[in-house]
Amino acid sequence: MFFQIGDFLVGMAVGVLTALAVRAVMWPGIDMVIAMLIGMGLGMIIHFVVAFAVGPLLGMFQTMMPASVIGMYGGMFFGMRDSMDAGSASWGAAALVGAIFGAVVVAALKVYDRALHGTVLDAEG
Amino acid sequence: MTIAVEDTKRKWDGAAKSIDLLSFADDRRFGGYKRRLFAKMYGKSLMVATGTGNDFKYFPPGLDIDALDISPKMLEKAAPRAEGYPGTLTLREMDVCNLDYPDNTFDTVLTVCTFCSVPKPVVGLSELHRVLKPGGQILMFEHMRSAVAQFGVLLDMMTPLSRKFGPDLNRDTVGNVLKAGFRLRRVENVYLDIMRIIEAVKD
Repeated sequence: MFFQIGDFLVGMAVGVLTALAVRAVMWPGIDMVIAMLIGMGLGMIIHFVVAFAVGPLLGMFQTMMPASVIGMYGGMFFGMRDSMDAGSASWGAAALVGAIFGAVVVAALKVYDRALHGTVLDAEG
Repeated sequence: MTIAVEDTKRKWDGAAKSIDLLSFADDRRFGGYKRRLFAKMYGKSLMVATGTGNDFKYFPPGLDIDALDISPKMLEKAAPRAEGYPGTLTLREMDVCNLDYPDNTFDTVLTVCTFCSVPKPVVGLSELHRVLKPGGQILMFEHMRSAVAQFGVLLDMMTPLSRKFGPDLNRDTVGNVLKAGFRLRRVENVYLDIMRIIEAVKD
């Protein structure tokens, strides 16, 4: 249970930090491609820092892989959204969207892990 | 001793101070998998890249095990844990790419997160193949490159950094086991397709 809750909290934290960081540096009208690249870069830096900080407590790969998806894709999505002036109305709303995005990615990866889990080759089975 | 071996030794001597920090999550998330894998050990056994001996607690009792590491600092930390093993457990400083054992010595070889770090993994695995008896088994708990594009590319991007203080994250360890001449017996995904159990045999 500790790890399950921890996985979700870390994913939500990466989502919130990425959403807020992107909102802080974007402005409506910025070229969308540039916005997505900047968002991706910010998300990657945030995921890297957070994952390495809490990885020893929760497991390096279980932390790093969801955080990478949240940072990379979340940064791109948030950058795209903010460049179109279609973002959240307030900082709180942006953080909430980031948290939801993080939680959804963590949940999706847990489902995917269950799908991949187990024996994939058994030559003597 | 070559520069590469000295570099590897220096890197892992440095990591010896902090590597046990990772054991908290590893023990709880992967301990059951390791215990189940280690239970398959039999006969004269060899553990490679023993580290600080954190995994000794998963050994079945009563075996005759040689445990190697390239880092003297790691072995210093492993020594008290080795003393507690209810069997014969001998620590030796050795490079897996240049093993000081005759051919066909061991029944079982065990590796845990080892071949992410050996600079020449196929050379190391070939050495393990050499020292295994015909019919002997290699049991591996390893992380490797994911075949899932998103994760594989990410692990590729992170490896130049991770390599400076620890392991490579993008090794094709299953492929390397085959290149070294082993026959795969079983492969199990433990986390995504990154943490895996590999069991192989020497025909």
